[in-house]
Amino acid sequence: MAATIELPQGTLDLLILQTLALAPQHGWAISERVQQISSDALRIQQGSLYPALHRLERRGWIKARWGVSENNRRAKYYELTKAGRRQLELEKDAWLKLTAAMAQVLGMA
Amino acid sequence: MLSDGLYRLRSLFRRARVEEELDDELRFHFEQTVAKGIREGLTSDEAARRARILIGGIDQVKEQCRDARGVWPLEVLLQDLRYALRLLRQKPAFTAFAILTLALGIGANTAIFSVVNAVLLRPLPFREPERLVKIRFSEPGLGLRGVLYSLPELEDLRNRAGVFEYVTGTCRGSVNMTGGARPERLEVILGSANYFATLGVEPQIGRLFRLEDSVPGLAPSAVISDSLWRRDFSGDPSAVGRTIRIDEEAYQIVGVLPPGFRNPSRTGRSTAHDVELWLAYGFMAPSDPKPLRSARAFPGVFGRLKRGITFQQAQARLAAMAAEIRRDYPADYPPQAQWTLEITPLQDDIVGNTRPTLLVLLGAVTLILLIVSLNIANLLLARASGRQQEMAVRSALGASRQRIVAQMITESVLLSVIGGVAGIAVAFAGLRVVAHVIPSNIPRLTEVSLDWRVLVFALLTSLATGLIFGLAPAVHTARSDLLPGIRENSRGSGASVKTGRFRDVLVISELALAVVLMAGAGLLLRTLRSLMEENPGFNPTQIVTANVNLPYPGDPAKDPYHTLAKQIAFYKELARRINSIPGVARAGFVSHLPAASTDGFRFSLGIEERPSNGAADLHARDIPINPDYFQVMQIPLVSGRNFSNDDEGGKPRVAIVDESTARRYWPESDPLGRRIRMGQGAWMTIVGIVKDVKQDGLDVVGFPHVYVPMYQAFDVSEGYIFRDFAIAIRTSQPLSVLEPEIRRQVSSVDANLPVYDVASMDELLDRSLASRRLTANIVSGFALVALLLASIGIYGVLAFMVGQRLPEIGVRVALGASRSDVLKLIVGKGVVLAGIGIVVGVLVALAAATLMGTMLYGVQPHDPVVLVGVSVLLFVVALLASYLPARRATQVDPSTALRTT
Repeated sequence: MAATIELPQGTLDLLILQTLALAPQHGWAISERVQQISSDALRIQQGSLYPALHRLERRGWIKARWGVSENNRRAKYYELTKAGRRQLELEKDAWLKLTAAMAQVLGMA
Repeated sequence: MLSDGLYRLRSLFRRARVEEELDDELRFHFEQTVAKGIREGLTSDEAARRARILIGGIDQVKEQCRDARGVWPLEVLLQDLRYALRLLRQKPAFTAFAILTLALGIGANTAIFSVVNAVLLRPLPFREPERLVKIRFSEPGLGLRGVLYSLPELEDLRNRAGVFEYVTGTCRGSVNMTGGARPERLEVILGSANYFATLGVEPQIGRLFRLEDSVPGLAPSAVISDSLWRRDFSGDPSAVGRTIRIDEEAYQIVGVLPPGFRNPSRTGRSTAHDVELWLAYGFMAPSDPKPLRSARAFPGVFGRLKRGITFQQAQARLAAMAAEIRRDYPADYPPQAQWTLEITPLQDDIVGNTRPTLLVLLGAVTLILLIVSLNIANLLLARASGRQQEMAVRSALGASRQRIVAQMITESVLLSVIGGVAGIAVAFAGLRVVAHVIPSNIPRLTEVSLDWRVLVFALLTSLATGLIFGLAPAVHTARSDLLPGIRENSRGSGASVKTGRFRDVLVISELALAVVLMAGAGLLLRTLRSLMEENPGFNPTQIVTANVNLPYPGDPAKDPYHTLAKQIAFYKELARRINSIPGVARAGFVSHLPAASTDGFRFSLGIEERPSNGAADLHARDIPINPDYFQVMQIPLVSGRNFSNDDEGGKPRVAIVDESTARRYWPESDPLGRRIRMGQGAWMTIVGIVKDVKQDGLDVVGFPHVYVPMYQAFDVSEGYIFRDFAIAIRTSQPLSVLEPEIRRQVSSVDANLPVYDVASMDELLDRSLASRRLTANIVSGFALVALLLASIGIYGVLAFMVGQRLPEIGVRVALGASRSDVLKLIVGKGVVLAGIGIVVGVLVALAAATLMGTMLYGVQPHDPVVLVGVSVLLFVVALLASYLPARRATQVDPSTALRTT
């Protein structure tokens, strides 16, 4: 298991949007999914996940509806809106540019 | 953003629902985490424990979600308000004190502002009032502003200036009216027929003046005020068309003005009543030859600027026109007089010299409100220190600093708004009192009311006050480190030391402001005292005065006093009868009683064998008197002789001058025997010199006065109008006994003459100071309140300090400190605070006092007596206020003080 790294500022929104791009999910699944895909390297602070979800919902990038979970429980599912998809592309683009530039500077490209 | 707004609205209106969903969502997450733990082989207890750690403080998460949803501006406000109300109820003494002082502070501000609003700010109630201007003829070369004008000059304004839509001339006077419910003495305006058109008013019933009213002399039409209509004609519409008699002549009432219409001028001088009657005046007698430019006899004129002409354009054009006229008629306009025209907005003209008074009052109430705010800020700070623990707990539960500050500001604004509402009530009650006590010489006072402007002012004032006194403790709390507060015994932490210093600054400011207010009050009181001690130049005790007017019909055939002989006979008979009243020593007659008249007419003074127009300041006021006047008033004769009954019409004209006139115009020689004349009047020989009299008011350094015998002054051929006069009676009888006697004697000579404004001379002098007295009393009242609040402030700081340092004091006492050591510790602190506050206050007062310059008389703005007196008084009070908490400190039982920590 890789060591857990702190999420850099501003990346939480990007992670949430990317995760939701695949399919609508509830909050718990989002945190599980991020952890899983990053091979446990990224772990979302539970305390910051929900405020982030509510903030993204307010901005209109995701929307919520109540559904039924795999184990038959009532759960709040979030999905990307059109605006959210555009935002995801923007943030992704910016992130890739940033990391590429960082790699170049650090002499790894 | 629409979605954002909807989202917030949803948050607000479906609060319960949203909260429930948030609960559900987080519970789901928690259960999923627990379930995962169990799947991984943990016991359910252990899984739950780990899940709780992972999620962190559930209440913090919830609070952050609420913040993220952005609901708090609305929802949180309600929540904060509920909480604030609960807090206020829990501390009834603090709440009552805060609301009471706020109500007084805001109430006083609102009341004074509503006066300022009515007098200075609210536009005149006429159509497009900004186009109305007062026009003045001036001779700056002679130092004269507002000289009389002639008919051709009035025509120039109308036909030559080109900047006015209307120009209207006015003469103000008072007349006897009969034909209503009772005979009345009324203030009247004789105005050009376009008077009402110029102002832009419509009648309530009937009509106003029309072109046909523009005739030489007076048109037989009268317009009356709403108040007169209701008083004398019981508001009956059939009053229009009725005939009334004004000074013996018949006029027909043609119209009634709407309620609230007032002649745009200061209130009346003789009866202190508003103008209630208007007559159309053609400014020319029917028989007049072509009017002369030099026949300057008319006092008032105002105009309405043409639309599109700015004030500056009009002023420039009038100055240019004046120059043209001076060039065209050099004989009528001696160059050294520099005769010219100036205009002022009508509103400014009406307000006149009341502006500084009102601004000083407004400044005083603002200071009071500042002190009130500082005091409450101080109390709140003390409370905030006590609430450190509460704030620390709230912070631990997830409240952001922003949130805590918002909560505290909500509390203080709620307090100030409650105070503001109470303040409006105070202002409303106060205005009723003010309306009775404020002297009638402040114009437009009848228009004072609580209109929307005043209410908005009160509201903004309370909000601003709440922000000011709430911000300090709130910011302070937010800035200080909250964590120590959660520990139980946080006394003596850095936070409270900082609070202490901050409170010191507040108290020092309070003291300084109190010094400023007290210094202002001191200056005004000293002004009042020096005015009351001012020698009026005569002996006002045991003098009763009354006013009588002879009618002056335009038609000589109806004039019972048309010839000088008839008038002299009347005056001599009246004097004889009044002198026969038991207890009356002597009766004097005078055109204007000293200190009672405020009209500033003066005439150019001609001195024989001295080049006319040579000296710039040759002007004087003539005062017709009867021979007994000087004896009655006990005005001493310095040299020469008094008038006698023989100084009548037809005999050589004589005059008596006062000492300052003699000194001014004959500094090197004796004026006795010299000849002078008023304007273009007949030459008079100076036969006597009397002591100076404060003729124009106790606070006016008067211009020269020339007394003339009234039996010579009426000279119809000179166009001299003198029919209003006052009787001054030296008597041992009280006013109440004498008044009916005077009325009886006047009506026994002529039953048609009204007698009005009967008053003792002492009372008249007193009345002339009423406005100053009121201002001084109001400011002194404010200064007292400031002193009280400042001492409460200093007491509060020290009492709090004692409470905080009880353990320390206990230790000191246990280690052998004496009572006086402890006293010194606490009182010393009070002395330092008071000392700094007083020094700062004196410096500010020195800088501010010059603003009051125009309101002072007989005292310098930097009067050392006032400043030292104020400082000593404040210091003593501060000492007393520090002694009380200090005494408490000395009574500390060291063992108790140490144990409770």
